[in-house]
Amino acid sequence: MYNKVIGLILADDLAINLGELSYSRGIGAMPFGGRYRLIDFALSNFVNTGMLTIGVSTFLKYRSLMDHLGTGAAWDLDRMNQGLHILPPNYGLEAHSGESYDLTGLWDFYRDFSHPYIIISTCHCVFNMTYEDFIETHINSGADMTVLYNEDGYRCGSPITFFDIDENNRITGVYYNPEKPKSNNTSVGTLIMHRELFVDLLSNMMSRGIQDASFLTFLRMFKTYDIRGYKFEGEALRINSIQSYFNETMRVLSDPVRSQIFYGEYPIYTKVKDEAPTYYNDSCVVDNSMISDGCVIQGTVQDSMLFRGVTVSGQSTVNNSILFQDTFVSEGCQLENVIVDKNSVIRPGTKLIGNPNYPIVIGKGVIV
Amino acid sequence: MPKKNMVAMILAGGQGSRLGVLTNNVAKPAVPFGSRYRIIDFPLSNCSNSGIDTVGVLTQYQPLDLNTYVGTGHPWDLDRNNGGAFILPPYQKIEGMDWYKNTANAIYQNINFIDNFMPNYVLILSGDHIYKMNYDLMLKQHIEEKADATIAVLEVPWDEAPRFGIMNTDESGRNIIEFEEKPAEPKSNLASMGIYIFTWSVLRKELLADEENPDSSHDFGKDIIPSMLSQDMKLSAYHFSGYWKDVGTIRSLWDANMDILDKQDEINFRDSAWRIYSRNPVKPAHYISSEATVKNSCMTDGCVVYGEAEHTVLSHSCVIEEGAIVKDSVLMPGVKVRKGAIVDKAIIGMNTIIGEGCKIGGKPDPQNPYYNKKLCSDEIVVLDRGLIIKDNAVIPGNCMVEHRPDLTEGNVVEDVVQVW
Repeated sequence: MYNKVIGLILADDLAINLGELSYSRGIGAMPFGGRYRLIDFALSNFVNTGMLTIGVSTFLKYRSLMDHLGTGAAWDLDRMNQGLHILPPNYGLEAHSGESYDLTGLWDFYRDFSHPYIIISTCHCVFNMTYEDFIETHINSGADMTVLYNEDGYRCGSPITFFDIDENNRITGVYYNPEKPKSNNTSVGTLIMHRELFVDLLSNMMSRGIQDASFLTFLRMFKTYDIRGYKFEGEALRINSIQSYFNETMRVLSDPVRSQIFYGEYPIYTKVKDEAPTYYNDSCVVDNSMISDGCVIQGTVQDSMLFRGVTVSGQSTVNNSILFQDTFVSEGCQLENVIVDKNSVIRPGTKLIGNPNYPIVIGKGVIV
Repeated sequence: MPKKNMVAMILAGGQGSRLGVLTNNVAKPAVPFGSRYRIIDFPLSNCSNSGIDTVGVLTQYQPLDLNTYVGTGHPWDLDRNNGGAFILPPYQKIEGMDWYKNTANAIYQNINFIDNFMPNYVLILSGDHIYKMNYDLMLKQHIEEKADATIAVLEVPWDEAPRFGIMNTDESGRNIIEFEEKPAEPKSNLASMGIYIFTWSVLRKELLADEENPDSSHDFGKDIIPSMLSQDMKLSAYHFSGYWKDVGTIRSLWDANMDILDKQDEINFRDSAWRIYSRNPVKPAHYISSEATVKNSCMTDGCVVYGEAEHTVLSHSCVIEEGAIVKDSVLMPGVKVRKGAIVDKAIIGMNTIIGEGCKIGGKPDPQNPYYNKKLCSDEIVVLDRGLIIKDNAVIPGNCMVEHRPDLTEGNVVEDVVQVW
């Protein structure tokens, strides 16, 4: 696959708003699953397929993402000639407004490779798969594009894209946030096409002054081009709002979702942090929780996801919550249905109780 | 090559025979330790944190795991353009070939390597101690004292002193006047930690002279240090007072692992200013189910606990199934404890599977075929890596179960699995 398919990850999506959590980071850099960021899943799926040339396109708030990706070594993408290429916007260009992906930059980068195909992937869907069969199916079908979809649209909130698909798997309708969806087929945010077609489409958009090129832009060409659907059978977690972020994290705690996402045939790679092992003391109680390295657990943790370096002090209870990196929960606190961003401190005796349908979000570095 | 101020050499070639089956297939420095680490992570991380960027790792006994583990040195930030981590095995020369005969001889055979970097000083380390130490401070003392050699020493309890190499100093406590290997009547309780800084020009001459001496055993403690003392060279003692543990025996390896749980303030892995780095497995966060009980234990990525863990150190990817109880034990990476099994005070090698309803540990039974009086003590059970222990097998305390082909028919070991 290394010389056949090239990858493109769209690491930003202005349509997705995760409130305070996305205040300082784009969707790709959003922490997920205890030790990952959302882009890790898109990147690992590419790498596990054997693809070696991957561009990551971004336009706003990319500091946190660049920090995470580094040289790409964690994904084995620090290659001599191929590897990871970060494609930030070229603000100096007149053609670029800074409000969307820099098409000139993308066009420049993708024009010069010889790989016949390109897979474009967004970051807001978490799933674990390799693309061999997807690629084969696309090539054999003779279609112009093939898009990955599954059938759990009714379960997921917006923003979301639904399709009509005919008996030949051809897309015959595309609906963005429809009030009453006609089908349950919904995009998993991954599509494949000829690299040359992609470069032509970009050049066409640029010449017509179209700034806003997104994943949806390509799907909406279903009348002009033959776009087919490829059904993904596994679990895909859609992160498109704070509520879905919370729900999908809770869902990933238990099997079979946990096994499918984290213990698939191939691993999910991420940036390494050398934390100490997590320590559980004599009085702790832990129930149905995923906990990362570097934590100290002295209180009670139930149905929760703890990122690296979290401390839960004695006589504290953490229930149905998500605590980001280095959260410090002091003694005698009670947290229920809460998402706490990085480096926050919960002072002794604090009670924070949200509703499962409306979790409380504590911002980055806040002292409560 | 650009000149370096100090080059570190880690002696990692020893077998560590007192660890029995745990070092059957790996050199001691590559033995997993403390949930996330291998023993060699400690000297390597200390070097990296002390600003030493050129480290030679001398390997000889079962080097495969160790070489794979150290690799380019990337996890310790030792993949450098000039310098970095180097694996140094014995090699063939024009006048024949030679294994590393002893510690000093190993450095002698790598004089060319060290000369490449034209260092002022050479730091000699061993790959079998658990400690955190800033070698830069030791070097500072070496330079201030204008010493020819500086040896790190640790005050040990007087009753334990006869087990160590003891340094006798003058009244100032800084100048070493005598070295005694395991003295019956120790005159001092300053034990050598096996950490030396030498001025390279001095050590180079000593190594050449020592190689010519037919009576020499080519050992730093037994030959080089006494020889330097006899020439009235200046040997300085660097007093160290932190956590330090030699993990050369089953008992001390078990103790050191338990210290992570019981002496957290002393060993302190959470010090962000002095991190211990290691090669990370690519595993998700660990999971603890609703039925599980975890008390006074530590664990790392990829573990899944449905049963009970008490006072136990779990390495990555360990699984404890429903109803299984693991107490006072050390599980190396990938160990699986099946339903209802009981493990009490054991060190279990990588990827070993404990069958359902097994009973590991407890009162020793000298009649048991696996009973090992020589290496095991204190009711600690040691299981080799890659074993599959049959369901309902009983292995009492002080047993050591080895992975041998003829054991596959026995009533304890069912089959062996691929370790890697």
